[in-house]
Amino acid sequence: MDYLYTVIILVSLYVVLSTSFNLVIGYGGLISIAHPIFYAIGAYASALLAKDFGVPVVIALFAGAAIAAIASIILALPSLRVSGDYLLIASIGFQLGILEIIKNLSWMGGAGGLSNIPGILPPGTPKLVFTAIAVIVALLATWFVRQIAHGPFGRALSAMRDDELAFAALGRNAMRIKVGTFALGSALAGFAGALYAHYFRFVTPEQFGILASAAILTMVVVGGLRSTWGPVVGAILLQALPQLITFLDLPTRWLGPLQGLLFTGLVLVFMVVRPQGLVPATRTWSARTEKSHG
Amino acid sequence: MANVVEIIGLRKAFGGIVVADNINLQLAAGQVVGLIGPNGAGKTSLFNLMTGVIAPDAGSVLLEGRPLDRCKIYARARRGLSRTWQNLRLFPSLSVIDNLIVAVREYNGEKLMNVLFAPGSLARSEREYREKARQVLEDTGLSAVADKAAADLTFGQQKLVGVARALMNDARCLLLDEPMAGVEGQAYEIMQKVVRKVAASGVAICVVEHNVAFIRDLCDEGVFMFAGKILARGEVGTLISDPHLTELYFGT
Repeated sequence: MDYLYTVIILVSLYVVLSTSFNLVIGYGGLISIAHPIFYAIGAYASALLAKDFGVPVVIALFAGAAIAAIASIILALPSLRVSGDYLLIASIGFQLGILEIIKNLSWMGGAGGLSNIPGILPPGTPKLVFTAIAVIVALLATWFVRQIAHGPFGRALSAMRDDELAFAALGRNAMRIKVGTFALGSALAGFAGALYAHYFRFVTPEQFGILASAAILTMVVVGGLRSTWGPVVGAILLQALPQLITFLDLPTRWLGPLQGLLFTGLVLVFMVVRPQGLVPATRTWSARTEKSHG
Repeated sequence: MANVVEIIGLRKAFGGIVVADNINLQLAAGQVVGLIGPNGAGKTSLFNLMTGVIAPDAGSVLLEGRPLDRCKIYARARRGLSRTWQNLRLFPSLSVIDNLIVAVREYNGEKLMNVLFAPGSLARSEREYREKARQVLEDTGLSAVADKAAADLTFGQQKLVGVARALMNDARCLLLDEPMAGVEGQAYEIMQKVVRKVAASGVAICVVEHNVAFIRDLCDEGVFMFAGKILARGEVGTLISDPHLTELYFGT
């Protein structure tokens, strides 16, 4: 039963990650794959604030999200000023660079990881309680991203993706919208990271690397870009898959590469066979207005 | 009449090709000015220079007396400079009315802080924008297609959507790039009516157009451009009957 709870918690946190990544890469059209680094920044920032500075965990969670958002703005401002493509390159460098820094700083736990992070719930609380919290957070994040994407901000994002020049010539500040979207998505990732840190009470730098990037990207692409439930389905499916692989009794050193192959293989297959993903996006704007006014 | 736009000594060259050669031009409130000239004369380039799409090598553009030179594209639109595009550039994934709503000059929905922390004011603005968009759609005869995807309309209707979208800005100066190309019948009539109405409200309008009849019917004045230069400015009838300009236009 404990194992099941752990799986549900991990799936829920990955739902937050994939949904927020959908906001960035799907609705925002911002090509970055460094989403896990904001998960990491949220986790480490919140953990260190609570552990070394005695900040109450509930406050540290939100501070972790805020610090992840600030870090994302620092990354986005210079790279988006040049062109969208630079964000991809800069994001990979940023991700690997920050992870290297964490690995070499002993006060951040170094390569061995940061342990003894203050827990979010008093010791002895049934696992079910945090499982419920994680599921609720995942549902709230999904609802929140849907609200954003289907509201006035989402309309602007849609228009910007369609034609950035025409968008700017109407008085819309594309840069501000992009940075805002990136920061919001990263804040959600940071919050998920902080929850992870205070629940499992141990984080290592290597869990936020390129393999995690591939996993989240796969969840969104396989689930369905710009669809509400796509990233949720993708997260459930792709979080369950590695769990199943562990039952295959393969040598441990095969598991990592096998997961990587599986994720990137799935992305390629879906790109060719079913680019819209498992849950295709509806034409949010025209479809919605037809329903409510037509 | 007060000058809304003043262009002073504007110059731009791409390599050896000069698209704007010391352009000086004033656009007055309520006036409709037609930009005429053969392809490659620099008419669209002038619009691009005015709206900040391309940066000039020299010269200055003033809107209501204030220089726009340091303003980005979006900031110029926020000051009240609105335009349409030769190749439409509508937002195909949005419905017609959403194409218009997103074009409101001070669109509240792009400000993330409002979206997150002031949903009430956002909802009020939405109602206001929708109301305004409905009015503009009525004026442009597009009410019936308000909820269709912009990409599903006829070409003439799409041209009208482009103009309707530009009108949402409540601009001080409106630049129309070939509004009539490919437009006929009812859309033609509507376009004329709309341009007249907007001009009557005190907006300075500049139209690039090859449809001579449209220019003659609509414009108070014509400006003839050739090779990046303004060669003549005057009454449209006079310009198009000038043998020298006609020769340049048709390249005979």
